[in-house]
Amino acid sequence: MSTGLQGPNGGAEPVYSDGVIRLFSLAAVLWGVVGMLVGVVIAAQLAWPELNLGIPWLSYGRLRPLHTNAVIFAFGGCVLFATSYHVVQRTCQTPLFLPKLAMFTFVGWQLVIVLAAVTLPLGITSGKEYAELEWPIDLLIAVIWVSYAIVFFGTVGTRKVKHIYVANWFFGAFILAVALLHIVNSAAVPVSLTKSYSAYAGVQDAMIQWWYGHNAVGFFLTAGFLGMMYYYIPRQAERPVYSYRLSIVHFWALIFTYMWAGPHHLHYTALPDWAQSIGMLFSLVLLAPSWGGMINGIMTLSGAWHKLRDDPILKFLIVSLSFYGMSTFEGPMMSIKTVNALSHYTDWTVGHVHSGALGWVGLISMGCLYHLIPRLYGKTAMHSVKAIELHFWVATIGIVLYIAAMWIAGVMQGLMWRATNPDGTLVYTFVESVKATFPYYVIRLLGGLLYLGGMLIMAWNVVMTVRAGRATAVPIPRVVAAHA
Amino acid sequence: MTFAASSTVPTVAAVAADLTAVDDPVERQRFTRWVPQPSGGRLAESSLQLSGLHCAACAGLIEQALRATPGVQRASVSAASQRALVLWDPELTQASRLITAVRGAGYDAAPDAAAPARALRRHEARQALWRLFVAGFCSMQIMMLATPAYVAGPGELAPDTRALLNWASWLLALPVMLFSAGPFFSGAWRGLRRRRIGMDVPVALGIGIAFVASSGATFDPQGPFGAEVWFDSLSMFVAFVLGARWLEMRQRHRAAEALEASLARLPETAWRVAEDGQAEAVAAHRLRPGDTVRVPHGEPFPADGRLLDGGTRVDEALLSGESTPRERHVGDTVLAGSVNLGAPVRVRVERVGADTRFEAIVAMMKSAADERPGAAALADRWAGPFLWAVLLLAALAGAAWSFIEPSRALSVAVAVLIVTCPCALSLAAPATLVAASQALLRRGIGLGRLAAIEGLARAGRVFFDKTGTLTLDTMQLATTRLTDAGRAAFGDGLAGETAALATAAALAAHSNHPLARALAAAAPAHAAAWSDVQEHAGQGLSARDAEGQRWQLGSPRWLAAEGSAEAHSRVALACEGTLLAGFEFEETLRPGAREAVQALHEAGMKITLLSGDEAGRAHALAARLGIAEVIAGATPESKLAAVAAAQARGERVMMVGDGVNDAPVLARADVSVALASGAGVARAQADAVLASGDLRDLARARAIAARALAIVRQNLVWASLYNALCIPLAVVGWLPPWAAGIGMAASSLLVVLNAARAAR
Amino acid sequence: MDILFLLIPLSAVLILFIVGVFGWAVTSGQFDEIEDEAERILTREPPGA
Repeated sequence: MSTGLQGPNGGAEPVYSDGVIRLFSLAAVLWGVVGMLVGVVIAAQLAWPELNLGIPWLSYGRLRPLHTNAVIFAFGGCVLFATSYHVVQRTCQTPLFLPKLAMFTFVGWQLVIVLAAVTLPLGITSGKEYAELEWPIDLLIAVIWVSYAIVFFGTVGTRKVKHIYVANWFFGAFILAVALLHIVNSAAVPVSLTKSYSAYAGVQDAMIQWWYGHNAVGFFLTAGFLGMMYYYIPRQAERPVYSYRLSIVHFWALIFTYMWAGPHHLHYTALPDWAQSIGMLFSLVLLAPSWGGMINGIMTLSGAWHKLRDDPILKFLIVSLSFYGMSTFEGPMMSIKTVNALSHYTDWTVGHVHSGALGWVGLISMGCLYHLIPRLYGKTAMHSVKAIELHFWVATIGIVLYIAAMWIAGVMQGLMWRATNPDGTLVYTFVESVKATFPYYVIRLLGGLLYLGGMLIMAWNVVMTVRAGRATAVPIPRVVAAHA
Repeated sequence: MTFAASSTVPTVAAVAADLTAVDDPVERQRFTRWVPQPSGGRLAESSLQLSGLHCAACAGLIEQALRATPGVQRASVSAASQRALVLWDPELTQASRLITAVRGAGYDAAPDAAAPARALRRHEARQALWRLFVAGFCSMQIMMLATPAYVAGPGELAPDTRALLNWASWLLALPVMLFSAGPFFSGAWRGLRRRRIGMDVPVALGIGIAFVASSGATFDPQGPFGAEVWFDSLSMFVAFVLGARWLEMRQRHRAAEALEASLARLPETAWRVAEDGQAEAVAAHRLRPGDTVRVPHGEPFPADGRLLDGGTRVDEALLSGESTPRERHVGDTVLAGSVNLGAPVRVRVERVGADTRFEAIVAMMKSAADERPGAAALADRWAGPFLWAVLLLAALAGAAWSFIEPSRALSVAVAVLIVTCPCALSLAAPATLVAASQALLRRGIGLGRLAAIEGLARAGRVFFDKTGTLTLDTMQLATTRLTDAGRAAFGDGLAGETAALATAAALAAHSNHPLARALAAAAPAHAAAWSDVQEHAGQGLSARDAEGQRWQLGSPRWLAAEGSAEAHSRVALACEGTLLAGFEFEETLRPGAREAVQALHEAGMKITLLSGDEAGRAHALAARLGIAEVIAGATPESKLAAVAAAQARGERVMMVGDGVNDAPVLARADVSVALASGAGVARAQADAVLASGDLRDLARARAIAARALAIVRQNLVWASLYNALCIPLAVVGWLPPWAAGIGMAASSLLVVLNAARAAR
Repeated sequence: MDILFLLIPLSAVLILFIVGVFGWAVTSGQFDEIEDEAERILTREPPGA
């Protein structure tokens, strides 16, 4: 992929390694559709359990982890691979370190996804949230991740520009953190090719699991995507980051606060009270750096707000940040014990997850892909800008329906579950709360359908763009080594 | 008059000339370093200070222009700091070509000789940032590790878990103690060796003892140090104080950078005349006594010497305070640094380098700086008594407890020491002074050192230089007088004066003489048809008007020689030999000077005018401004003596000046302010630079400084109060670590918030 | 809470590593004159992306 062009002196001119980026970008769109489709299916199953159809590999319990893995690791993962490989090359002005290894990460990652798609419906699972895949696949993930780290850090190490742009710090932290989290949390004792037992037990395992779980959110779903945000928003808006100094402070502040927020998933469980308190305290502290980043990104448009009117890609990028702000406010609020006493185990948690996932992760991914894909095929814009605009509105309405439905459902469930009669007995049975939730499940399904619809519009747009474009090799600007 | 070179648009030949010294190996060394190449040769890396950048794209244009120059291998421009770093091949090009390339792009450049100083600052800044980060990051983590002990109820936290948390805290406190807190320990050690107790000593003692006690509690909870650990308090403390010092350092660096950027200029080129009369450009420092140099109009003299031919006027204002140009004739002495205002002349060099009058003044300045009365900063004065009081209290508490319950004696003593840790005390002054310096900057005063704020507030007597400080370097028209003939020609009263002025101004526009310029400025532009305009050196202008009549404008003596009578004024206007009008001039007051003097009087300051100019003009100006005390005709030596005498009387002296001749006084005074338009050496020496050029800002600055000092005192009182309140608790043994930590954070926050008021 | 015997030493080592990375960044000049860096990604002349 970096075989080069003929330069003016007749020698080979170095080009960027963009082939693997094209593959990851297209895969991202594909897995986005797949993951959201599975999401729609399971949402429908919650409303109409008959849709389990009595088939084990279509049952809710097995499809749910398929959905979470597909949207987080297949869709989100491919987006992160594509954009990190793109940003690191452009900001370091050098091709990828070991491009063949980068291609290996692509093939390997697709293999992981396919294996997940096969094993999870078959019921082969470790039962740990966002880490359901069994040990052979875990090993494969570890190998791919180490390769990813080599390619990424190798590219940074061979950079032609002295300064390491802030986005690369976020990507780098994401890669290292995920490696650590994955290896520690997935430690298991295998007993067969398809079965293993976690190296930890009981509440110890719970603590590790949610140390992993929350940091997966913090580094995979936040730090990595913040890296994308810090590159693609300035590029699309053609304005520099509002305060570069703040972006660096933001990075370091985020890094050191995230590690201890995990216990907030375990309020009112067997975890010691003081551990829960720490989780609450530092989740609240986390609010500050998160909002710092949000403000920095949004204010990049300061003085150019009119661009939002005409540019739907900017709409995706900027609105994603407001959802980020909302989720990073909602999260700390929910980690307060008294609030959590109401929200834990209810659909409010699901609402919170999806406002972050659909609102922040989804929209920023879409915005970045809309910026990136045409340029990978020699164009400056997607085939249809109107379709982008349509996608934006469809998706946003879908998100709003989704989270509103889940908020109402969640609070209602929490209140119903805790309602007691004067003699101390519960007012409502559990099934009564399930019945009461039904209409909100339907509304949520509608929201999800809209979101999936938007993704299908995107898929069509991408196909049309790729067909009309040409995969051209992009030469690396001949830097008279501005800074070595 | 400034010390800068001529600013006329350079032609190609002139470009090569004024850049000659840039290529001189000695000059070049100041801004260039050699980069050895693996192939055996070497490349040069030069640092240039750029000017004229007004946008982000400018940096790119300059980079392109530099890279397009043959021989340039690498060029990078920083728009933020307006500097270029260029790597070039000495076999293929020269440093002067780099500047030429920048000029070709539409900007300008000068060698950046401040690179070594900047490298030092950069190293200091990086170290400080790293220390601060380590302290902040680790203290955050230690706080997380300490929280379980605070929030867990009795018995909830298993002993081994508690021990684990303490061990981890100890591990993370190590980098804080060994690396971040290094400056406190080394500062305390240095202070003790010189028998002076500054703020570093109680700080170092406090954190040292806290760490030792906490380590003891970690390794041996049953031991004499007790089971309480204070890692979070001590690391937070280190982070806070380092934060304050980092802010101070940044402010100091910014002031230094601003000064360097304004001082960057081309090294001086002199025109040395060879035996055959050919003039060649050489670096000024290459001149030797006995050389002959040619000094063009508008250029400074490169050395002390004697005029060989011609006559000219020289501006010595910066050297002596003389407000009017002096006439010089063949055989007269001219001084290095004074400016040639008249025709080009040849000079025989007599003294160069350190022997010149200019350098003699600079040397005087340096020794004056050493003799400046020392004044310990306010906060440092508290440090000593504070430390003794704390040690005494701790010893007493320990002694008391050794009777009550000996096993707790040591931990109580430690608790007393820790709770009296001077966190807020250390923050009190720096936080306030940094905030005040922001306020001063907004008022147009750039501070070189923060301690000057105290001097500003405390000064009782101010010495003002006259020329260039209280006055601008231009003359202005004071009065117009018409003779009888003039009244006949132009008319009566004001209308007649205006008409006479208009005519004179039109003619005066043809000369660059300061008085001519003042005349031209006094009347609106008047296009008159003058022909046969001639300037007669030292005398005036003559020309013919549209009707062919001969007019003269110049010194009355010259006109009197042609047969006129009136001879009182400085400049006279005559037509066909008949004196028509006389014009008188006065020095232009700097805007705001009168109000400033009045404001300072009202603030209770005693004011003295200290001028190198002759007594008549000095007294006249003092009268205009309302200044009672005047010392006139002062040389730099006598200026210095006057200030020293005032200090000997116990007065705290502020000096406001701009010239080279003020530099020694600026160094000696308790606090000194230089004008931004002043000589480089004056600005470099002064504590503060008045960037706005408005003297009223001086009075405002004094008010800001006084307010800042009051806030510092409030802060010190509050910080001490906090300590005083906590001590009884610690003595009684009732102070848990979390309370100490919170108290420290809260009192520091209050101090910082209070300090922020000084920024308004 | 035995798991803390894994998590806490792990995070202590991680902290020291992070502090070391910051130290490398600061001493190698990553944080010098950063006001220019925000512009740099916009001003290189990229033909395509």
